[in-house]
Amino acid sequence: MTVRFIHTADWQIGMKASGIGPVGQQVREARLDTINRVLGVAKERGINLLLITGDVFEDNAVDRFLVRKVGDKLSRFPGRVYIIPGNHDPLVPGSVWEHAVWEEASNVSVIREPEPIELDDCILYPCPLEEKYSTRNPTSWIDAGESEKIAIGLAHGNVEGLPDADPDFPIPRDAAGRAGLDFLAVGHWHSFATYPGADGAVRLAYSGTHETTKFGERDSGNVLVVEIDERGAAPKLESVPVGRLQWQTEETSLEREGALDSVLSGLNEIPAPESTLLRLRLNGLLYASDRAKLASVEEIVSTRFLYGIVDGQSLVPAPEDDSWIESLPVGPVREAAEKIREQALHASDEEKKAVATRALIQLFEMNEKNHEGE
Amino acid sequence: MLLHKITVSHWRSLLNEVAMGPFSERVNVVHAPNGTGKSAMFEAMRRGLFDAHHVTGGEIEAVRPWGRDLSPSVTVEFSEDDQTYRVEKIFLSGSSAKLSRLESGSFQPLATGRDADARIREILAADAPGRGLSRHEHWGLAQILWAPQGALHLEAISENVAKNVRAALGVQISGETGGQLEERIARRYLDYFTKTGKPKTGKNAAPVTGLTERRERLKAQLVELRQKQQGFEEASRTVEDARNRRDQARREADSLRQTLGGLRKQAEEYTRLKSDLKNKQESESLAKERYENLNAAKERIEATRKEITELEEKVKQAAKREGEFKTEWETAKELLEKRRSERETARARSSQTSDHLKKIETARQFLSDQSDSESLRTRLDKITNLEAELQKERKKRTETVAPDAKTVREARKLIGERDTAVASLAASQVHLTLTPETTVSVHNLTEDSSHQASPSHPLKLSGDAMVEVKVEGFGGIRAAGPEGGAEKHRDAIREAKDKLEKLCEPYGSTDPDRLDALREKAQELDQSIKAIQQKTETLLDGTTTDALSSRLAEIKARRKATLETYPDWEQNPPVLSELQSAFDQFNNEIRDTVQKAEDAFDKQQGVCTTAENQLNTHMAQLKADRKNLESARKRLEELTQDGLSDEHRTKAISEALMNWKASKETAGQLEEQLKAIPGDPAKDLEKLERQLGAHEDTENKARDDEKTAEGRLQGLAAEGAYSKLIACEEELENVDEQIGHETTKMEAIRLLHDTVTECKQAVVASVAAPLERSATQMLSRVVGPRLGRLRLDQNFVPEAIHPDLASEPVKLDNLSGGEQEQLFLITRLALAEVLAKSGRQLIVLDDVLNATDSGRLARLLTLLEEVSDRLQIIILTCHPERYRGLGGAEFFELNH
Ligand SMILES: [Mn+2]
Repeated sequence: MTVRFIHTADWQIGMKASGIGPVGQQVREARLDTINRVLGVAKERGINLLLITGDVFEDNAVDRFLVRKVGDKLSRFPGRVYIIPGNHDPLVPGSVWEHAVWEEASNVSVIREPEPIELDDCILYPCPLEEKYSTRNPTSWIDAGESEKIAIGLAHGNVEGLPDADPDFPIPRDAAGRAGLDFLAVGHWHSFATYPGADGAVRLAYSGTHETTKFGERDSGNVLVVEIDERGAAPKLESVPVGRLQWQTEETSLEREGALDSVLSGLNEIPAPESTLLRLRLNGLLYASDRAKLASVEEIVSTRFLYGIVDGQSLVPAPEDDSWIESLPVGPVREAAEKIREQALHASDEEKKAVATRALIQLFEMNEKNHEGE
Repeated sequence: MLLHKITVSHWRSLLNEVAMGPFSERVNVVHAPNGTGKSAMFEAMRRGLFDAHHVTGGEIEAVRPWGRDLSPSVTVEFSEDDQTYRVEKIFLSGSSAKLSRLESGSFQPLATGRDADARIREILAADAPGRGLSRHEHWGLAQILWAPQGALHLEAISENVAKNVRAALGVQISGETGGQLEERIARRYLDYFTKTGKPKTGKNAAPVTGLTERRERLKAQLVELRQKQQGFEEASRTVEDARNRRDQARREADSLRQTLGGLRKQAEEYTRLKSDLKNKQESESLAKERYENLNAAKERIEATRKEITELEEKVKQAAKREGEFKTEWETAKELLEKRRSERETARARSSQTSDHLKKIETARQFLSDQSDSESLRTRLDKITNLEAELQKERKKRTETVAPDAKTVREARKLIGERDTAVASLAASQVHLTLTPETTVSVHNLTEDSSHQASPSHPLKLSGDAMVEVKVEGFGGIRAAGPEGGAEKHRDAIREAKDKLEKLCEPYGSTDPDRLDALREKAQELDQSIKAIQQKTETLLDGTTTDALSSRLAEIKARRKATLETYPDWEQNPPVLSELQSAFDQFNNEIRDTVQKAEDAFDKQQGVCTTAENQLNTHMAQLKADRKNLESARKRLEELTQDGLSDEHRTKAISEALMNWKASKETAGQLEEQLKAIPGDPAKDLEKLERQLGAHEDTENKARDDEKTAEGRLQGLAAEGAYSKLIACEEELENVDEQIGHETTKMEAIRLLHDTVTECKQAVVASVAAPLERSATQMLSRVVGPRLGRLRLDQNFVPEAIHPDLASEPVKLDNLSGGEQEQLFLITRLALAEVLAKSGRQLIVLDDVLNATDSGRLARLLTLLEEVSDRLQIIILTCHPERYRGLGGAEFFELNH
């Protein structure tokens, strides 16, 4: 009687990668590759039911080649796959779901009607979306109270009570209980999240996306393995990481001379830099003697990682660190250096500060070169 | 440098050699009128010192005297750093250069050709021009010291010269290292920016330029892709809309089909009910008819019975009244006859009126005849008289034989002919006149006739050709003339006489006047006859005397007849008005009487007719009533022919009534059933079927629309617009980021460069300060303190003045022309003084201070005198008198 299945959602195939420079294409490819890992988890655990709750594709106008690839991958899954269209890929004319691959993949069902689907040991209550936006609760039609089999809902939307969320396809927190479902698998939010009922049993959960989509995205890059012993039993949930890419944000405040040394060693400790996207934020004081190190930090970050960026915009030259300026020859250059330093420390807007800091660094370098006789 | 001597030939207007010098070490004034070559001379000096001897081109060609193949040449002797040199240069054809140095009292060659050119420039710290002639910036210190013709303004001073000035001022701004750093910064700056601070473009453009261009391209591409993405979504929506329309149309058609099914059934039911109802209604109407017939028969019998009773009573009463009506009619008839005779009597009287009228008419005729006969008679009398007169005149005319005008003319002509012939005869004859003293007798021998002649009666004798007389007591006298011609004239006279007598024979005279008188008399008579005839005709007025006479007879006869009827009219003719008024009175009376009688008759006739009518009506009514009675009896007989009793009849009626009610109820039930069906469903059915057709059409059209849109959508979907869009967006973001980086980098270098420049300017400004002070001092000595402080830029070019009263510096172009030239001269002098620290310097002022008034000129001259302690000054002018006040000045007049 026990039902086991994998709940996944929000693959967002073909999605845009903002703010990661030229590696968007690689990140998109990773999202596609990770489908194999999702299927791999099922295979490892002998699970033959895969429920995808919306937003498989980022948009209905994605490259048809991507649709074909996803369809082909899913068709190779040795079990049943049920997909509901989400708000990104709603069931509208011209949608990705009109692609021939969905006819060809006999094990894959793209659900097009909100009607119960009776399987051997459970009944699915799917809620496919037909629009990008709606204030309607997509699960409201479900009435599984009388079901004798285990009742599983598939939906896509905002669980009510989420912070800063519009009532976009709103799903009540107690939707599962209200509809008589044993479990309501939900997509839309990219982080894994569960909503326990009054009895403590979790009957409503976001699996989260299988592959992280951006910096700062909590608990993403997983699939959810669900096991329900019998009708009415509390589902057992296990969030299994499948994501390939690490989206890492490091923020370090430099307070003393030589502080960049620890940043450098920190970089060395990051595992699998080739699949890591790193955003390194530096603030605090920059000492003249550390400038060369800053350059090598930038070098390492931008070359060793899949993608890396150092944000040093808010670094300011250390105020007590003016030895090199004093070593400049007396005259207009030294006077200018002092003025620019003033600006780097005290300018009213950040951009001016950044420009001034940059100017100082340039002068510093030129002075060095001058000494070296280049 | 100190100038000693200059020699020029073949230079512009200076055709022959002109030498000038030696110059004083202090002030020199070179003067000459305009156009005599003062400036040319100093131009030659500049060219000789700063230009390569082999220079070519239009500018140096212009120096050659016009229209001559001469080579301009110049020789300059000068001192620099305690050495004295001589430069000799020839330009254009046969160009050459030679530099000599005064060594032990004589000039020894130092260099020739290009070496000489270079060596001179070295000595004078001048820059070599690239190609062509040297420009102001190549002149070294002369930029400051030598003011070309009229150009005191200092627009710029080259960096090299500025450096010289700074060196002379003993100032160093940046040390060697500082200078190198500055250069690095400048180089770096120029990697990105132009000298004027604009981002570089073209093949050396800063990377940001290329990036910005790429960004623009991407942006344009993005717009296109966004449109495509939107197009996809719109197409999707269009398909959805078409699908919805089709679904809606299908739903509506389906629901209509359902309605149609029901309606068809209803229509059948309706038809059935209608036919049932018709049957039931027919049987009901039959039952109703039977009941009504029975009832009507019964009612008719009763009515007929009642009618008979009434008619019998009516006939009885009418027979009784018949006599009364007859009596009344008879009485009326009698009275009518009476009225009729009264009327006839009255009418008879009225015949008298016509007699009256006739009398009036007769009287009128009588009176008219009377007047007519009188006038007729008068007229006839007149005519008779005229006829008698006419008779008399006619007789007179007949008796008068008169010639006509032609005959008179003929007579006159003949008389003329005769007289002419007589005259001609006399002329052809010999005439002899004898006038004796006493009476004598004379015998004409020619004619043989005797005559008496006396003094009172002389004798005239004529004869053809000759007259011969014998005079008593005297003797014979013969007078002779030419012969012949007299006979011819005598024939002519005779012929004319004969004709005349023949013509005038009827009138008894040949005298023409008498003939004329006769003719006039006849004419008068003719006119008189004509006048009488005219008068007669007027009186007749178209009629004849006979007609008039018969009319008169007619009137007379009528009068006679009238007088027989009214004999008294003979004596007293009737008066018409009296007769008329008498008639009027009589006529009124008659008319009244007749009217009254007729009215009475008419009235009685009406009474009589009424009475007769009443009688007739009564009789007719009676007759009709009798006839009606008869027919009513006959009808009753027919109605009761069946022989049924009244009771029997009543029973049959109530049975028929029950039958009728029963069938009416059945029909009512059917009607109720029909009422449940609103209207004839057949009509609705037709309408709905048409509607269904329309819905089916809509559905088909929606399907077609959907197909079309679907086709488009599939095309757009296949493009995968979204994937292209985001790829473009990502690239754009990437480029934006790079631009950000580049911009920061550029802004940083700009900041560095600009800040260094600013700082340097501040230092330079402080260097210029002492110079500014001395120049300001000189300026205030000349123009007073009004202009305040003079401000020089970093290369010592005057840029503004700062009057004490002004909060901001004032641009130089706000000064008057005079003050501007004074200011620039002073600046040049101040700079020259600085430069003169290492040795005396030459100042050349070519035709300057033209806008300066004499007061300020005097002060400037004092100043020039003062600085001539340290400077050699050469002033070129056409107004030497202006400089006469200069103490110790040498004057050179240019004449060639
Ligand atoms: Mn979603």
